[in-house]
Amino acid sequence: MTDQNSAAEPQPAVALLDDPATSTWLKSMLQWALERDPVDALNDALELAGILEERLRREFGLDELP
Amino acid sequence: MADSNDGSDLASRRRDSSPRRGGQLVIGKLKAHGEANYQFRAREDPSYYVKVLTSRGERTLWGKDLKRALTEGETRPKPGDLIGVRRIAREAVTVTSRQRDAEGRVIAQEERHAHRTRWLVEKVTFFAERARMARRLRDEQADVRESVRAHPELKSTFLSVRAAEEFAEKRIANPQDRERFLELVRGAMAGSIHKGEPLPSVRLREAPQREADTPQPATRKHGEPTR
Repeated sequence: MTDQNSAAEPQPAVALLDDPATSTWLKSMLQWALERDPVDALNDALELAGILEERLRREFGLDELP
Repeated sequence: MADSNDGSDLASRRRDSSPRRGGQLVIGKLKAHGEANYQFRAREDPSYYVKVLTSRGERTLWGKDLKRALTEGETRPKPGDLIGVRRIAREAVTVTSRQRDAEGRVIAQEERHAHRTRWLVEKVTFFAERARMARRLRDEQADVRESVRAHPELKSTFLSVRAAEEFAEKRIANPQDRERFLELVRGAMAGSIHKGEPLPSVRLREAPQREADTPQPATRKHGEPTR
C-alpha cells in the first residue's frame, strides 16, 4: 500500500489491503476495482457475489429438497 | 418477541425474486449480532438481531431465538464467518403488547397469541455437510456400512431406518405400500437432517437372552447402554 493510494482510498479498503490475512485474490480484485468507475465496479461486484453464492448453493446442495 | 418482529430488512432487493421452498437459507458473512430493541427503535420491545452481508446487500434478521441459535448451535459462528441462517419452526407463544404515551409510560396492554420463530444459525459448511448426509440417507442403493463410516453421526439415523424396514416387513403386506411407507420415512428423516435439525439418538440395548448368555463384568452399572 503506497501513501499516495492510502490518501485516495476508503479506510476499509486500505485496512483490507494491509491485512496479511486477506487473500491474494481479494487484494488484486480490490486494487483493480478501485481503479474503475465506482458504479460499474460495485455493479459488477454484486453480480459476481450473486453468481458465487449460486455456485456455492448448487455445489453444496443447499437448496435441494428432500 | 414473536413473529411480529421476526422480519428482516433488505438493503437491496435485487435478484430477490426467486423464493425457495421451505425455510429459505440466507447465506452471508456474519457482520454483527446482539441484543437491541426491535428495529433499533427505542419504543419497541427488546429483541435480538443478526446482521449478515449477503450478495444482495446487508440483511438484518430479528428474533429473540437468534441468540440461542448462535450460542447453542454446533459451529457457533463468529463475526467474519460465512454463515447460513434458516427459520426452522414456529412455536406458539403469548405476547404482551403495550401502548405507551409520549413519555414512554405504558398506558394499556393486552395479551395475544402469536408465534415465535425458531432459528438455525451455523457456519455454511454445516449446511453443506447436512445436505451430504441427507443425500446419503435418501440413496437406497448406498452401502449403509460405508455411509456410517463416512458419517458416524448417522448411525442412529440408519438404525431408525432399519427399524422402520423391520416394522414394514412385519406389518405392511402390500409391497407397494411398504415401499411407499419407507420412502416417506427416509424422506422425512432426510428432510430434518437437511434442515439442520438435531440428529436422532437411538440407544442400543442388548436383547435379554443375550445378556443372560454373556455374563457381564461386576463393575458394569445396571442400565448402562452397551455399544
